[in-house]
Amino acid sequence: MDIDIIELSERKARFVLSGVSASFANALRRSTLAEVPVLAIDDVNIYDNTSVLFDEQLALRLGLIPLKANAKNYNYPEECSCGGLGCASCQVSLTLSAEGPKIVHAGDMVSTDPDVRPADSSIPIVELKEKHKVVVEAVARLGTGRKHSKWQAGVAGGYKNMPILIIGDCDTCGKCVEVCPRKILKLEGNRVKVTEIIECSLCKLCEKTCDMNAIKVSDDPESFVMTFETSGNITASELAIEAAGSIKKRAGQLVEILETLG
Amino acid sequence: MIPVRCFSCGNVISSVWDEYKKRIQTEDPGKVLDDLGVERYCCRRMLLTHVELVDLLAPYQ
Repeated sequence: MDIDIIELSERKARFVLSGVSASFANALRRSTLAEVPVLAIDDVNIYDNTSVLFDEQLALRLGLIPLKANAKNYNYPEECSCGGLGCASCQVSLTLSAEGPKIVHAGDMVSTDPDVRPADSSIPIVELKEKHKVVVEAVARLGTGRKHSKWQAGVAGGYKNMPILIIGDCDTCGKCVEVCPRKILKLEGNRVKVTEIIECSLCKLCEKTCDMNAIKVSDDPESFVMTFETSGNITASELAIEAAGSIKKRAGQLVEILETLG
Repeated sequence: MIPVRCFSCGNVISSVWDEYKKRIQTEDPGKVLDDLGVERYCCRRMLLTHVELVDLLAPYQ
């Protein structure tokens, strides 16, 4: 297995994963979506809400706000020593009180743990008009995307096979250069050159337009261009590590079960 | 109110709403979205097609 990083920022990762099967690449993608634990608002106590939004809608909006925190400091409520009753090691409380006229943003929430805060402070929660008031207390808990999409750590995860473009005998007519929607082909002297092979969408338009059948588009079945983003609760590199760790942990559990059977 | 996340991919799009709303008064919405880093068409339609109803509903509270 080999990893070649193309792009790695705080919220986005793009890399070439080679020497693995498609099922492994898919396991990693699914793991980023459903198995990485993050914090999200789970319970909301509404003391006052005279805004244009219904209580339910307000609670849903609060739940979808990504919370930046060190998830390792928290336990799942069902696995916590308090037995799911709620203690400082399995839940965090955030309060929000505001009076109109103003737009309430995610950054206006006050957390009891200074390490837990909304990933984007500019998310509008509700617009309050004159005399409108919102007083809520929200309880954030640890969870995974398997339970609800608000706990989904990775977003827009996907992969494609590594494209392979072979250019044979060519009369440099330039038709393929024009037709390529990703603009990855370039005429250089008397040859057609591929500039960014990773950007190829495998549409095969170049193959179809070529009168000489000089272009061959195929893909490598054991090499993948993987992309995923995070919604800000954890960094992209942490997400990849956590997702791979989750696969490893579950594979280990499977081995244990199989051993008891054999 | 603008939805917090994109319906399709789950990416947070509402964080750029305030800036988007202000900038489309003078600029081309497509270019503003490019500039704000809203890449995918699922996320772009969230901002492009949103109709703000708060002002309409507020008098009936």
